[in-house]
Amino acid sequence: MAARRLRRVVASQPGFINLKSSSGSADSLSSRRKRVNKNKKKNWNKHSDINDVEEFLDDVRLQERTTGGLLSEKADDSLFFVDVGQPKKAEQKPEPKAEPVEGKKRKNRASRPLRIDLILQHDSLVPPPKDVLAYQQPNAKKLRRIAQKAEQLAAKGVVPRRQKQLLNRRTVVRTAKKAATETNNNPDREYYNIWGQETKDSADPWYLQQTGKKLVKRPEKLNEKPSMLPAVEVMAPGGSYNPDFFSHQSLLQEAHEVEVKKQKEEDKIERQLAVNKEDTATEETTLQEQVEGLVEEEKEEEEEETAANEEESEDVAVGAIALAEKKTERQRKREKAEKIKEQRRLAGRRQTDQRQQLFQLRSIKASIKQQEETTEARHKQRKAKQEAEKAQPRRLGRLKFQAPDLEVQLSDELAGSLRRLKPEGSVLKDRFKSLQKRNLIEPRERAKFKRRHKVKYVEKRAFREIT
Amino acid sequence: MGGIQKKKFERGSATNYITRNKARKKLQLSLPDFRRLCILKGIYPHEPKHKKKVNKGSTAPRTFYLLKDIRFLLHEPIVGKFRDYKVFVRKLKKAYGKTEWSAVERLRENKPTYKLDHIIKERYPTFIDALRDIEDALCMCFLFSTFARTGKCHVQTIQLCRRLAVEWMNYVIASRALRKVFISIKGIYYQAEVMGQLITWLVPYQFSHDHPTDVDYRVMATFTELYTTLLGFVNFRLYHSLNLVYPPKLDSKSNLELKEESEDDYAMNSECYLEKLSALSASLARVVSSTEEDEAEPDQFPVEEEDMEKMEAREKEQKQQEAQKKLFEGLRFFLNREVPRESLAFVIRCFGGEVSWDKSVCIGSTYEVTDETITHQIVDRPNTDQQYINRYYFQPQWVYDCVNAKMLLPVEDYFIGVTLPPHLSPFVEEKDGDYVPPEKLKIMALQRGEKTDHEQEEEEEEDVEGEDEEEEDDVDEEEDDEEEEAEEENLKKMEEQRTQGKSLQVRVTPGKLKTENQARLEQEEKAEEKRLAIMMMKKKEKYLYDKIMFGKKRKVREANKLAAKRKAYDDAEKAKKKKPRK
Repeated sequence: MAARRLRRVVASQPGFINLKSSSGSADSLSSRRKRVNKNKKKNWNKHSDINDVEEFLDDVRLQERTTGGLLSEKADDSLFFVDVGQPKKAEQKPEPKAEPVEGKKRKNRASRPLRIDLILQHDSLVPPPKDVLAYQQPNAKKLRRIAQKAEQLAAKGVVPRRQKQLLNRRTVVRTAKKAATETNNNPDREYYNIWGQETKDSADPWYLQQTGKKLVKRPEKLNEKPSMLPAVEVMAPGGSYNPDFFSHQSLLQEAHEVEVKKQKEEDKIERQLAVNKEDTATEETTLQEQVEGLVEEEKEEEEEETAANEEESEDVAVGAIALAEKKTERQRKREKAEKIKEQRRLAGRRQTDQRQQLFQLRSIKASIKQQEETTEARHKQRKAKQEAEKAQPRRLGRLKFQAPDLEVQLSDELAGSLRRLKPEGSVLKDRFKSLQKRNLIEPRERAKFKRRHKVKYVEKRAFREIT
Repeated sequence: MGGIQKKKFERGSATNYITRNKARKKLQLSLPDFRRLCILKGIYPHEPKHKKKVNKGSTAPRTFYLLKDIRFLLHEPIVGKFRDYKVFVRKLKKAYGKTEWSAVERLRENKPTYKLDHIIKERYPTFIDALRDIEDALCMCFLFSTFARTGKCHVQTIQLCRRLAVEWMNYVIASRALRKVFISIKGIYYQAEVMGQLITWLVPYQFSHDHPTDVDYRVMATFTELYTTLLGFVNFRLYHSLNLVYPPKLDSKSNLELKEESEDDYAMNSECYLEKLSALSASLARVVSSTEEDEAEPDQFPVEEEDMEKMEAREKEQKQQEAQKKLFEGLRFFLNREVPRESLAFVIRCFGGEVSWDKSVCIGSTYEVTDETITHQIVDRPNTDQQYINRYYFQPQWVYDCVNAKMLLPVEDYFIGVTLPPHLSPFVEEKDGDYVPPEKLKIMALQRGEKTDHEQEEEEEEDVEGEDEEEEDDVDEEEDDEEEEAEEENLKKMEEQRTQGKSLQVRVTPGKLKTENQARLEQEEKAEEKRLAIMMMKKKEKYLYDKIMFGKKRKVREANKLAAKRKAYDDAEKAKKKKPRK
């Protein structure tokens, strides 16, 4: 309100210059008058003409916005200047510019701000109002006082209590956490005497067991090895880098035998898969097939007749079973008597046999002995077989153990010196196979990658354009 | 006839086994996790005796485990860790998907890990148990340490394996435990005797790696995980048994020597120490610096006469071993750059030799080529430019053959450009009657102390022929003997006598003729006894005896045949050699 009043006061002064011409206001005043009671404040507000004041204020605002203040208050120097005509340089410059027009123009264009930015720019010269809150601080006085006091204390050398606590705090031990997260394959890991003296747990064993802190004892049986074979099987002497002639030959022989066996198996499969020549269709057979059933009608008729005969005979047989007669009383009695007689005969026979065995004692003994011997022999054989099987790889899964190929170098591949030696086979594979052979892991195939959906090939457009 | 009807497959072997899939479900683990758990805990699949019974009437091939084993697995704390890991992976994936990097970092920090210490303790209750199973661990660690540091397995695992392998080699050097070496086309086999256990391991050649595709790397990595833990603990214990510092430290003296070199050329600072250790050229620091090792002789106990012979034999063996341990003592070797450095340095250092190499080959060389005190230089190329007079130049095989022969062999056969004698496998043990290659016979003769002259080739040739003749003599004798022999002990005695007789044949002196006669008499007496014993045999036993004898004779015959073949081959070679000369 105060500002408004001030402005009005300013406007009423004689030196004030209006920016807009106030001719429009006179026209509006000339329109018909309306009679209104002016004894009420409401009517004052409603019907009094304030256009002149509004216009004036608008004008003031416009001046403030565009020039940054009232024109009447400005110094003359800032409003006017002496016109001395156009400067000469501006005239001369365009001529040399004509040649490198394009380059310079582009530069100007680049430096000129975009129109959209210009539109969005703040074009009022009235400065934005100050945000008072931004400069205010709650409890500023108190804080200032505290800071001053702290400074004084610091100058005296007194450490506040809070800082003292911080200083007195123990440093956090990070090692404990590190040990917990240390990985198994850390190259700098520590080892200790694991087979040292036993640490006796003082805690209650029941508690330890129930909380899972005590390890379950390992069954003795698990410490047995699943195979008798040694962990490292040393190669045959023929596998030396510079072998003795005969041991090398014997190794070659062995490898050769393995190869021959493989070849034989392959051949066998091939033979079984081969197409039999008699089974292939010739012209004759195809013709016969086409004519089948057309030529031999007569024969078929004969066959039908014979078939009919057979059926009749079958009927007879079926009837015979159905027509079994009932046995008479006499027949039954006779049968029973015969049965008893037979039993008696057999019993008598058995008795005499037993009596006779008394005289056969020697031979019986001999036969028993023989039997025992054979069982013994079989037992031994079985034991030997079991022993032999302990060294054999077992069938542990879908696949059987397949012995690795023998590493062999032919006579002309052998290197004369250690420098020219070409290693054969891979130690990694050897170890892997050894683990399989000793039944530590089951032989497995590498899992095959299976595609769920078929792959669709599409030529890229770029590629298609080229071709 | 009464009672409840028995159902099939509810008792007996069907209830003792469980299929792999069921076991997996019982443990709530995925198949890879289950497999890993089984490997770590040492639980292996089992082949049932009656598959059809176990498989509920089906004959489909399946993998079975013993139910008790799986029940045992249920108590394993690592199972929980596996489940944690699964959850961790899921969370991590989710965090990645949402691009919450702080969450990813936090999860990474708290990645669940597990230790295998308790499993080692459980599986190997005593140190000796662990030592018996160390062969696998060694092979695996040496193998993994040669892997390239590419994506096939963790780089950390490779580093750890390398560290453990180097520690092991340093131990073997410090304890001088190496016994045999065999260079095969696959790799190098070493055998060491550690605490009375013979331990064999296989080391692949460097840079000879092709990754076979049909090997399951995950399984191998799991085994390695277990074995690195095992080998670490074993190493610790072994080092302490020798009063060595663990983790190994270089001797302060040798450390100073090595310091002089510019270390930066070879490795980063962090890896430098391991590299120096793996050079194997320096000795290790001890807990108590042992300036004088008091080698107290074992106390002699009075023993019965029967044991006396055994005791003597044992003592003799011990002496031999001691001698073998000091095989290269006092010799200074220099390795040319084309020879396998690590293997040779390891072997030479194991037997007390000093070794060095060119500065540019590897860190840790101790002296230069120009050093006048070098006695042996190992070269593997047809010729060398500069030769010093006071040292031998020979091919690397000499070192290995010396170790296997347990003595310094004549260097002449291994000079530069000479065709090498065959490298025989020290792991073959011939029984009597087997074919023995002539080279081995020669070495055996050398071991016995018989000198063969190598100064001139012709003489050597004669010698070889002479040996062949001897061999044939031996065979004849053997045949004679074997007709009469019945028991193995007697056989051994006879052999001893025979060797005695042979040595006598070589250096005949008139004074000793008498003893030969005595021996002869004894021999005859024994033969007579044997003949009588054979006469007294039962028919059945006699049959068996004849059979055994026949088998032996056949073996001898085969060996003879091979020897004759070899001789013919050698003759042919000689003839070939002589022809171009003329």
